[in-house]
Amino acid sequence: MTPHESTRPLLALSAAGLLDADGERQVRQHIRECPACAAGLAGLAAVAAGLTSLPSPAPSAALLARTQARVAAQLAARRDRISGVALGVAGCGCGWVVSLATWGAWDWLGGNPAILIWLEFSAVLAGLTAAVVVRRRRRAERSFR
Amino acid sequence: MIYEAAIGKDFPVAETDEAARLRRRDPAALAAVVDRYQHRLYRYLLRLVHEPAAADDLFQQTWLHAAGQIHRYDPRRSFDTWLFAIAHNAAMDLLRRRTGESLDDPDRGAEWAAVEPDALAAAITAQRSAILAAEMASLPAVYREALTLRFEEGMKLEEIAEVTRAPLSTVKSRVQRGLECLRQNMAARWRKEDLI
Repeated sequence: MTPHESTRPLLALSAAGLLDADGERQVRQHIRECPACAAGLAGLAAVAAGLTSLPSPAPSAALLARTQARVAAQLAARRDRISGVALGVAGCGCGWVVSLATWGAWDWLGGNPAILIWLEFSAVLAGLTAAVVVRRRRRAERSFR
Repeated sequence: MIYEAAIGKDFPVAETDEAARLRRRDPAALAAVVDRYQHRLYRYLLRLVHEPAAADDLFQQTWLHAAGQIHRYDPRRSFDTWLFAIAHNAAMDLLRRRTGESLDDPDRGAEWAAVEPDALAAAITAQRSAILAAEMASLPAVYREALTLRFEEGMKLEEIAEVTRAPLSTVKSRVQRGLECLRQNMAARWRKEDLI
């Protein structure tokens, strides 16, 4: 392979700034002796320079506003899901605490297991209901903003 | 070398603290990033798919995906490549569904021929941007993508490889062949216009 043949594929890489120092040296050395490759490199460099300043279309203001709104809505929906789970867990925890606090009352009522189940169930249900109410209220507040 | 002199390197990147805010899904941080990357992302998508309506859809799709997957973003890596990789996947899905758009690396066409420097320089000087944009649009998608990421986004080979999930050698060859094709087309077009 002649120096001309081995250097020619490097010209585009040189114009693109992708050659290492050795490759760049080889190109520089060759174009001093080869007008065809010097012309080729000049053309490629001009195209490369032109590519950095092509007309740059911008997204419309409406597209940007729509995208921002959809991204914000997606983030809000995710926050809702997370806060819903957190409130649910908190509600169950509260229910559990209430049932422990009423343990004495259950004991005083004779230690009937049915009463205990009823107490536990109603406490947890009250906690979950409170969580759902809080979540809905937050969502409604956000939709009014 | 010539390219390095022609392009600035001060592209905006997401700061580390901003990356942390993004990972926490801070709406203000995401809004700021959407605003900051709007031109670059839209330009990249439009170069790939040509049609503004398709680019609009992909633009939204990319940001919605980015917002949903932001917890997967590793702040030690470049936000640019992460975001552009999402856009790349969305655009490639669309191009695959389209008929007549090849995503394969084209075979090497006719060997590159030397042309007179004055002729090419004149062609490039006269309406360079418009002609180049039109010629760029006629290139195969993989070349368009490699050239726009290299020359308009100023990405390094490694970054382009990360965005396109292609080996370094493939990316290098796409930039090289894309540039040579463009130069050939520019020369041919000048000759044609000169004859009219």
